[in-house]
Amino acid sequence: MTATWIFLRKEALTHWRRGRFLLIGLVFLLFAIESPLMARLTPELLKSMGGSGIHITLPTPTSVDSWTQFYKNIDQLGIFLFAIVWSGAIAAEVRRGTLVPLVTKGLPRYAVVLAKFALAACTWLVTLLASFGLTWAYTAYYFKDALTPHVWAGLWPLALYGLMIIAITLLGSALAKSSFAGFLAVAASVVVMGLGDMWRPLRRFNPLSLTTNALPWVRGTKTLASVAPAFALTVAITAGCLALAIVALNRRRL
Amino acid sequence: MALVELNHVTKSFGDQTVLADLSLAVPEGSIYGFVGENGAGKTTTMKLILGLLQRDAGSITFAGNPVHYGRAAAASGIGYLPDVPEFYSELTPTEYLRLCGQLTGIPHRELGGRITAMLETVGLPNNRRRIRGFSRGMKQRLGVAQALLARPRLLIADEPTSALDPVGRREFLDLLASLRGTTTILFSSHILDDVARICDQVGILHAGRLQVQGPLAQLLAAHGQAQVALGFETPAAARQAAAALGVAARESATLLIPAPQGETAALRPVLAALLAQDLVPVRVSPVRPSLEDLFMEVTQ
Repeated sequence: MTATWIFLRKEALTHWRRGRFLLIGLVFLLFAIESPLMARLTPELLKSMGGSGIHITLPTPTSVDSWTQFYKNIDQLGIFLFAIVWSGAIAAEVRRGTLVPLVTKGLPRYAVVLAKFALAACTWLVTLLASFGLTWAYTAYYFKDALTPHVWAGLWPLALYGLMIIAITLLGSALAKSSFAGFLAVAASVVVMGLGDMWRPLRRFNPLSLTTNALPWVRGTKTLASVAPAFALTVAITAGCLALAIVALNRRRL
Repeated sequence: MALVELNHVTKSFGDQTVLADLSLAVPEGSIYGFVGENGAGKTTTMKLILGLLQRDAGSITFAGNPVHYGRAAAASGIGYLPDVPEFYSELTPTEYLRLCGQLTGIPHRELGGRITAMLETVGLPNNRRRIRGFSRGMKQRLGVAQALLARPRLLIADEPTSALDPVGRREFLDLLASLRGTTTILFSSHILDDVARICDQVGILHAGRLQVQGPLAQLLAAHGQAQVALGFETPAAARQAAAALGVAARESATLLIPAPQGETAALRPVLAALLAQDLVPVRVSPVRPSLEDLFMEVTQ
């Protein structure tokens, strides 16, 4: 565990100096400001674009629109940003040979996987929480309604889903030589989950349900318990991917 | 006593056999030149000793203890310098060495002093400059520093000079030579001059086996054939002399006479025969067998 901690500090320092945290932080800050603002401005924008001839009636924007925008941003862009940034995390180290001196000095290969996961997971949770907090503040400021009583309910499933995506990224990166492998693994998983989503009986188990149900949870029309199996499966996939990534890296020729 | 011993080691990748029955012994305190063509299996052998690869058969011991795949080489006292060492370009050399020292388990209070001393030894400045802008030579120096930081008993250096310019190469060889007596060095190369310059032991790897190994001087004496070169004033005179002595003529004005029993024994009848025909050599010089001759002989 000491080795994992030592390697984690190296990871944090190199990511910091590469400007990765700044990039992710800025993107998530943008989401937080943009989501409520877009919800508020969309009707005005449409109205101005419609011209004088056509008369459009639009419903007044509510906090539901703000949160819809937020979850769409994180789910469809934010998570993929993590998959892109960590896509080559392990593959690049193996290809360049940077692990060789450290492994001969006693760095266990599992520590590489665990440290990389820990850093990505912490970054994900911190930026997600910060972005969420800011969105919440703006939403409360713009929309003084009571349509979204359970704001926290959508966050935890998304946080867990993100951890699974990170684990899949690392597994892809541990298996293949290409720097795109991690991202491709995520893309393939999302396609598979998307196909699975079309079959209704499977939805309770599908990790994708952790993101598609965010709004019903926030509005209180559905309970988290409805997808309990999906929670369990997501935890299992996350742990499984990490374990497989360790096995894969153990077998890689350095 | 041998610090590293390989006995009947074999290793294949897929259906390609790299090492077929390799036995090798590196005596403690020596600088061992591990010679072979590109692709002969030098790197594979080194990675087996380091526990980075799994052997198919045979045994490897370091200081009498068996070597296992996946165990930390540094913990048992081996430092490794890869052929083209790669580091994290965002770190400074000091930060990188700190990372290495922490992983090896060097006590915190000792580490700072050791890093400063090591940077000085290898000739790298101790400042905030990051590895990003380093030249090949500077990376090689940092490579030596990380390999020696834990004061290993054995330094394994894989083709360390092949990527360096002549000045960098000379400095690097001097650095290795300065470790003589404190650290045993296993040094692979296909640059025979480098090996001849600093190594006292040599092993030649060819076709997956060690063809010869031992002290360089002994090997040369035993394998390479001593010769004497006779220089004549004109190529025509050299041709006449070749005919008189019954040796092969050459294009130049020089003849080569085999001298298996030493130069004096070889020269006495030759000179007598030449003078009898009024042929006078103007230059006489012994030709010592070189590592190159030995290498060509055992790999043909």
